[in-house]
Amino acid sequence: MTMIQIEHLKKAFGDNEVLKGIDLTIDKSEVVVIMGPSGSGKSTLLRCLNFLEEPTDGIIQIGEYQVHAGGKIDRHRKKVIRELRKKTGFVFQSFNLFPHKTAIENVMEGPIAIHGTKTEEARTIAEALLVKVGLGDRCDHFPAQLSGGQQQRVAIARSLALNPLVMLFDEPTSALDPELVREVLLVIKSLAEEGMTMVIVTHEMNFAKEVADRVVFMDEGIIVEQGTSKDIFLNPKEERTKQFLYKVEAVVTE
Amino acid sequence: MDVTIIIDSLPSLLKATLMTIFLAAISILIALVIGFFTAIIRILKVKVLNEIANTYVSLMRGTPLLVQIFVIYYGLPQIGISLDPISSGVLALSLNAGAYLSESFRASILAVDNGQMEASMSMGMTYPQALKRIILPQSLRIAIPTLSNSFIVLIKDTSLVSVITVTELLQMSSLIIAKTFEPLTIYLVAAAIYWILISFFTKLLDKLEVQSSKYLVR
Ligand SMILES: Nc1ncnc2c1ncn2[C@@H]1O[C@H](COP(=O)(O)OP(=O)(O)O)[C@@H](O)[C@H]1O
Ligand SMILES: [Mg+2]
Repeated sequence: MTMIQIEHLKKAFGDNEVLKGIDLTIDKSEVVVIMGPSGSGKSTLLRCLNFLEEPTDGIIQIGEYQVHAGGKIDRHRKKVIRELRKKTGFVFQSFNLFPHKTAIENVMEGPIAIHGTKTEEARTIAEALLVKVGLGDRCDHFPAQLSGGQQQRVAIARSLALNPLVMLFDEPTSALDPELVREVLLVIKSLAEEGMTMVIVTHEMNFAKEVADRVVFMDEGIIVEQGTSKDIFLNPKEERTKQFLYKVEAVVTE
Repeated sequence: MDVTIIIDSLPSLLKATLMTIFLAAISILIALVIGFFTAIIRILKVKVLNEIANTYVSLMRGTPLLVQIFVIYYGLPQIGISLDPISSGVLALSLNAGAYLSESFRASILAVDNGQMEASMSMGMTYPQALKRIILPQSLRIAIPTLSNSFIVLIKDTSLVSVITVTELLQMSSLIIAKTFEPLTIYLVAAAIYWILISFFTKLLDKLEVQSSKYLVR
């Protein structure tokens, strides 16, 4: 069953065409890792999926919600986009937790604001999710009192609180100290095991090997090649992929 | 300096201080509303309204408050709008403070990291929801120091409406001096009252600032 369908997606910032026609179909429960050099348009692609950037051209469908780029910005379109967003969790590189709310309040925010859940029920949901990401004992801490890894796990719990169909991760561990990366990746891995459909932008090759059903390599706004992690990491066909892997591995083995 | 004069004039001065507080309080409330909506209009660049808001802020900041008071009290009757001195004073003070507040609201809303709006929108919140639940609570904290400053300035500015015969603290002082011929004593007492009043509000608002920043403490 198809969960995400992206058709000839284009995005330009002024004259700078950042996405030059992306086609990508992702099945339910599939885990897709997107890799590629800095500036290749990975973040832009993910942000377009959530309409944090308005695409210039193309069609995006997530679950039952389909949105055409460049459509008239009317009530109906805004509503569909909002519904689509409710069903997609977005995890940012910089966490973007709400600093004036405690961990549990951050997680309760979605159910209360979006689903109209009663406070007590939202608290129950949030507590269970914080336990799930290993932060049951940090409920009443403010983001400023948590480590980066803990903050990112709260952010993941916050997204999960809306029961998303899909989770999008934009370099979820890039802002973390190396020793905090693993705890976040383990949470994401557990979601993969539960069958969550996910699109993950990351440079963590070992992680990609562990969880990715498919690795997509992007460069300069196009998908250069894709395949299983074995295909891409062991037998890359395209020169650009080889060069990129060479650089990343050089860093990893340093 | 004659102490009995101070004691005799104190009740009248304190009563006039209530008028000063009243003018400042009601004007700041109206100014907060004006300032907030002006800021939102300017941030969202709402068609037409944005131009009006920009002109309003520019006019208020670019002309002396005393002139604004004169235009409202002495000028408007000429086109059939006659307001009593207190209403004129409140109108001038709140329009003036509203312009300054809109600037600090605008700056403080824009100072909230863009990621906060993105996180809210990506959850499926509407723009007003995100503003109300996530952005404004944070920008209010950022704005509190400048808001308190505006309020302090407003308390001082109320003395300007003495020129249109509103019997607030300064006007009352002048009235008493007309009878007692003790300008130094009476004006110093008035100054002391302003000083106490402003120190009190400064302390109060400082507390508020500390309270509202609790979550930032590690
Ligand atoms: N808001 C924006 N305005 C203008 N240019 C942008 C914006 N966001 C991204 N870009 C440009 O788009 C290109 C791709 O950026 P991005 O999607 O962040 O790449 P990646 O995530 O792969 O590093 C870059 O050249 C970047 O400068
Ligand atoms: Mg990026």
